[in-house]
Order: sequence, then structure tokens, then C-alpha cells
Amino acid sequence: MMTLDERQEHQEIWLLLPWLASGRLSPTERERAEQHVHRCLPCQNEFSLQQRMCSAFAEPDRVVYAPGPSFRKLMERIDSEAQTDRRGARAAVQPHLSPRGIAARLSHVSLWRPPGAAWAASFLALFALTGLLATAYRWSEPLYRTHTEVTAETPNVLHIALDRRLTIAEVEDLLRTQGARVVEGPGSTGIFGVSPSGLAPGTPAASVKQRLRDLARRLHADPRVVWVQPLAQDDTPTLSPGAGAPPER
Amino acid sequence: MRGPSHTETQGPPGTGESGYRSVASAAREAALIARIAQGDRRAFEELYNLYHRRLARFLTRLTRRYDIAEEVINDTFWIIWRKAGDFRGDSQPSTWILGIAYRKARNAFRSSARLAAMENPEDPLQPPTSEEPMRAEELRDWLVRALAQLPVEQRLAVELCYELGYSCEEIGAIMGCPVNTVKTRLFHARAKLQKILPVLGGTAAPEERRGLK
Repeated sequence: MMTLDERQEHQEIWLLLPWLASGRLSPTERERAEQHVHRCLPCQNEFSLQQRMCSAFAEPDRVVYAPGPSFRKLMERIDSEAQTDRRGARAAVQPHLSPRGIAARLSHVSLWRPPGAAWAASFLALFALTGLLATAYRWSEPLYRTHTEVTAETPNVLHIALDRRLTIAEVEDLLRTQGARVVEGPGSTGIFGVSPSGLAPGTPAASVKQRLRDLARRLHADPRVVWVQPLAQDDTPTLSPGAGAPPER
Repeated sequence: MRGPSHTETQGPPGTGESGYRSVASAAREAALIARIAQGDRRAFEELYNLYHRRLARFLTRLTRRYDIAEEVINDTFWIIWRKAGDFRGDSQPSTWILGIAYRKARNAFRSSARLAAMENPEDPLQPPTSEEPMRAEELRDWLVRALAQLPVEQRLAVELCYELGYSCEEIGAIMGCPVNTVKTRLFHARAKLQKILPVLGGTAAPEERRGLK
């Protein structure tokens, strides 16, 4: 009959027997276990059994496992996942694509498109371009008109614009001294139609034109006259010296 | 009596690779892991070849299917490739690697119906009728079949102890449990194996052999 201490030691050693058989006990544990096994018949039997177990597990394999194919499979998996990780990292680093990134991404996009879609896209582009040109032309035209655009509609009448600061008396004085009389206007824009004063009906046309030219020359020289309509021989608008831009209508 | 057949620097019973866990081999494996952390594929292949055989044997015996074993081995080495930089040498390289393999194997078993199929084999194991001592090869075959009837944790403890020759402390580190838990698991596994294979213990009754009566 075992004492309590012997029973406790037996149970402890019993638990260690597999490692005593496999040689994996520390030197201290091994010495203690060997001493117990030496005097304990059940532990001797169990130790013998454990040695048989170790031997049985140590039997060489009938099958030899070649690691090569498995390793190649593993490396394929690692390479594949590394590629996926790199793509994920690029996407995370560039949430908003730069122009270069967009270009790089577009470089992976096939340039082939169905012919119908290409024709439709071309038509739309042409339509948009035409509209753009028409708009650009319209925008290039001035939104205002000037006196220079006035055309002589009345024969033997010279159109002029006077300084708006002139009083009626000053205008009367100007017309009298320059030998002109008002035959039209003023219109809403202050344009007067004048003709040489003292021009009798039936005066020859050549004489009328000459008098008109003389009047235009005098008015042109007068600083109180802002603008004088060019005559037929002179297509360029005539601006009075010292005067600013012709008044807008 | 016969003394233990292995010393601490000798190889485990099942590997036939003497000294594979010696100080020199541990240092070599640690150096390989350090090179793997730098992305060295040659070092990775060397470590893979070093462990493939013992892991394949260990896992195939557990699962009885090489395809599952291969899956677990590659899952294990996939972790090693990614986490080699985390290995600080706090444990032996083999303990670290086997710890990963253990967790992968356990998850593989538990996450599929394979476990049920393995734990409830269609052909229940019959005890041998002959009283003749079994040859080592026959005994191994019986043990493999008997192991299939053990719970996974006990089966793994048996394999780590007898097959791979790990110490009690190392098995605790690999399985992530206290040393006493390892001893208890192996104690219950041994008792069940002796019930399944009474021929293992000769003619004496288990209780008598344990000296508990």
C-alpha cells in the first residue's frame, strides 16, 4: 500500500512518462522520474509502453512528400496577393486621381469602340463646334452702334454732332458763323442735318457738292463740332480735333 | 529498466533528423526567418523544405488527407512569409512555426465538416483479436486509426509529443495552454488509447498498470 506522498509522486511521474520515453525531460525531472520508475512496477510497464508508442510513431513513412509542387503553389498565391495588395495601396494613396494617374489609367483602356458610337460622337462634336463658332462670331460683334455707321440718306445734307454742352445761342452762333442751316434733327442722339446757308433751289449739283465740302471743312475745323459725316469722296469718318469719341446713340 | 532513448539535443522520435532542434539548428532557423523578413525567397524555400516533411507527416496523420495537410502547411507558411518580421526570438523557431501550424490545423478542422467525418469514422475500430505483440508497423497503423477517435486537442497533444518529440513546456507554448493542461490531455489520450488497444499494455489491466488500485 502506497503512502500519500508515494501516491502523489507516482501520479506526477506517471504524467511525465511520455516525455521520459521521448527524452524530452529536463535533467532534474529525468533523474527523479528514473529513480521512481526503477522501484515502481506499474511505471516500468507504462514506460515500456510509452517507448513502444515512440517507436511506432518513429516508423518511417510509406509515402514521401515532395515539397516542390506545394511550394510553387504557395509562391503563386503570395505573388498574386502581393499584386492585389499593391493595387489596393495605390488606390488608397491616390483617392483623387491626378491627370497623370488618369492618363495612366486610360492607357489601360482599350481604344476600340463600336463604329456607330464613333459616328455619333463625331456628329455631336461637329454640332457643338458649329454652335461654338456661331456664338463666338456673335460675341465678337459690338453691342453698340456709332455715328460713323450713319449713312447719308438725304441728298445735299451734311450730318454733324455738336458738343452737348453748347447752349442754343452758341449753336445758333456756330451755324451762323460757319454758314450752315439746320435742315434735319436733332434726333434722339443729337445728330443734326445741315446744309450750306443760302443754297438756292436749282443750284447745279457740282456747285452744291463743292459748297458741302467747304462747309464740312469749316465744321471739321470748329472745335465745337464733335463729328462731321464724311462725304462721298471721303469714306473715313471725320472727327473734330480735340473732341473725344463720338457720342453713343 | 531502460532509460530514455533521446537526449535534449537529439532529434524527436518521428523525424529521423538528429539534432534538428539543437542550438545550432535553432540559430540557423532564426537566421532564415530574419532573411525571410527581408523578402528572401531562397531562405523561405529552405525553411519550407526543412519543415514540409515533418508537418506533412504530422498533419496527414491527423487528418488522414494530404490535401488538407498541404492546405494547412501552405496557410502556415503564408503567415510565416508575412509575419517573419514579428519573430523576435522569444521562443524557439520550431515552437513558433508549430504554433502557427497548430492554430491553422485546429481552425481547418473546426471550420468544416471534415472534423465530424474524422471524429466519427464509418468503420469503428475493432480491437485486435490476436494476443501476439504487434509489430511496430502494425502498431503505427492501429495508432493512426485509434487517434482518429480522440478529440482534436488530445490528438494534437499526442502527435506533438510522440511524433514531433516536443517537451511538455513546448507543447504548452504551441497549443497556448498551461503545462498541466498538456499533461492532462495526454493522460486522457493515453487512457483512451489503452482502452482501444489493450494489446499496447500487454496483459495487465490499465488500473493495475497505473498502480491506482
